[in-house]
Amino acid sequence: MKTWKRFEHVDAKTVDEAASILRTGKAAVIAGGTDLLGTMRFEVLPTYPEVVVNLKTIPGLDYIREEAGVLKIGALTRLEDIAKSSLIKTRYTALAEGAHRTATPHIREMGTIGGNICQLNRCWYFRIPDNRFYCIRKGGKMCYAMAGDNRYHSIFGAVKMCLAVNPSDTAPALVALNAGIKTNKRLIEAEKFWEMTVPGSTVLAADEIVTEIQIPSPAAGAKSAFIKFAIRKSIDFPIVNCAAMIGGGNARICLNAVHNRPRRAVEAEAAIKGQAIHEASADAAGAAAVASAKALSGDRNKWKIPIAKAMVKRSILACA
Amino acid sequence: MSDEKDKSGGQGNKEGTGQISRRDFLKDAGLVVSTPAIGSMAVTAEAAAQAPKPGASAATPAGSSAAAKCAGPPHSIELTVNGGKYRYAVEPHWSLRQLLRDEIGFTSPKDWCGGLGACGSCTVIMNGRPILSCLTLACECDGAKIETAEGIAKAKHPVIQAYINNNAFQCGYCTPGFVCTAKALLDRNQNPTEADVRDALGGNLCRCATYQRHPPAVLEAARNLKQQA
Repeated sequence: MKTWKRFEHVDAKTVDEAASILRTGKAAVIAGGTDLLGTMRFEVLPTYPEVVVNLKTIPGLDYIREEAGVLKIGALTRLEDIAKSSLIKTRYTALAEGAHRTATPHIREMGTIGGNICQLNRCWYFRIPDNRFYCIRKGGKMCYAMAGDNRYHSIFGAVKMCLAVNPSDTAPALVALNAGIKTNKRLIEAEKFWEMTVPGSTVLAADEIVTEIQIPSPAAGAKSAFIKFAIRKSIDFPIVNCAAMIGGGNARICLNAVHNRPRRAVEAEAAIKGQAIHEASADAAGAAAVASAKALSGDRNKWKIPIAKAMVKRSILACA
Repeated sequence: MSDEKDKSGGQGNKEGTGQISRRDFLKDAGLVVSTPAIGSMAVTAEAAAQAPKPGASAATPAGSSAAAKCAGPPHSIELTVNGGKYRYAVEPHWSLRQLLRDEIGFTSPKDWCGGLGACGSCTVIMNGRPILSCLTLACECDGAKIETAEGIAKAKHPVIQAYINNNAFQCGYCTPGFVCTAKALLDRNQNPTEADVRDALGGNLCRCATYQRHPPAVLEAARNLKQQA
């Protein structure tokens, strides 16, 4: 087994302490560690953190509670606790299901919601050990998936020449549920939280740390659902996933793993809003969601388009 | 697993070779008490009896080249493994699996996927949760209560006999991971359905593909546990 190169390890006591260490530019924060330790072990990135700052020692960031019509989830809450919470299962179904379908039981027991939404992408050129493809997301000049094997890549085009997709299963649920993501600096709307950076996938500043997820109570009569397509049911990252919240006069649908960031399917929302949910209307909404999707040259990822359509359709039907 | 040990430290640095010896380094670091093999001290008598090689290796393999960049100071941690208490000085870059196997000597957490978190063979139960010991930093386990397959077998937990009765393995390499995951499930859920079992074991891979034998084995263990209670 490849071992880690040396680093210094600091147990943070407060978020501010962790942020001040991050400001040195040579540190990385660790919560569940399931993503960070993998990238470090295989030296995926050209840089290696000199200091790893442990967030798990910060008290009071692991909770699920409902306050004044807002569900609040601490950033250190384990995915398995979210998946098992009866409150989340009944009222915020899409998030419980998204958390439940993330990775394996072990990784859900370790991984946190804060880490899940901040994870790096899974493009196989990006993830290859020892930084063998120095791609755009690492500060390089090209996207190797553009000319290479891009069967799992974006069907909605590149962002700043990068074709990688966002692999999170909880992200589309948070967008569909209209969540807010609180950091030590501000409250960010879920829809605006993800962005292509080098190497990250969020709008977070270098010393910004997610502290809480806030989800407003769904309107009366609204239902939410999450559907995922993956090669193996229990382990894999999504090929395409989709979360929807429909009812109470509103419809929010979000696809993920189809684009650089979770992609709200506004065309599908417009198609289904105010309509009765049945096979035909869901099918039409699914078709609307992928109307602007386009396979990359070579058609290697063309198969994802009908899957995306089916995911939108099924998630709408699950909200009936 | 010698490949996982820190190559920069330890064995090659004999005293009197002009290099800083391990012993001198440890003295300088103020870590030495009186024994040459510091660090891996079984604290209780019970643990001394349980540990396969008590006090066998020094827990700080830091030689002259250990002054490499980013080398953080070792962390002193105390943890409970299978009921025995252990105190170790661990390097920040050690995995829990490395500590359990190479230092303490509990060899049931296996390495298969190489530290990707993809196979579940290194599963141990930490504070009631089945976790991957290869993706857990040892220095973050201070105060943790850990159970490995050795402890589960020693306690004669019914899951072991159920696995034997159902032939739920062939080569056995993945079995410690499965057993830990199954035990963690039964600790939380005394009446699991087959779907619960399949869901809980979803992160453990078995290359011999004895998958269909696992649910009946775990369900049998659940029945036997209830009879015992």
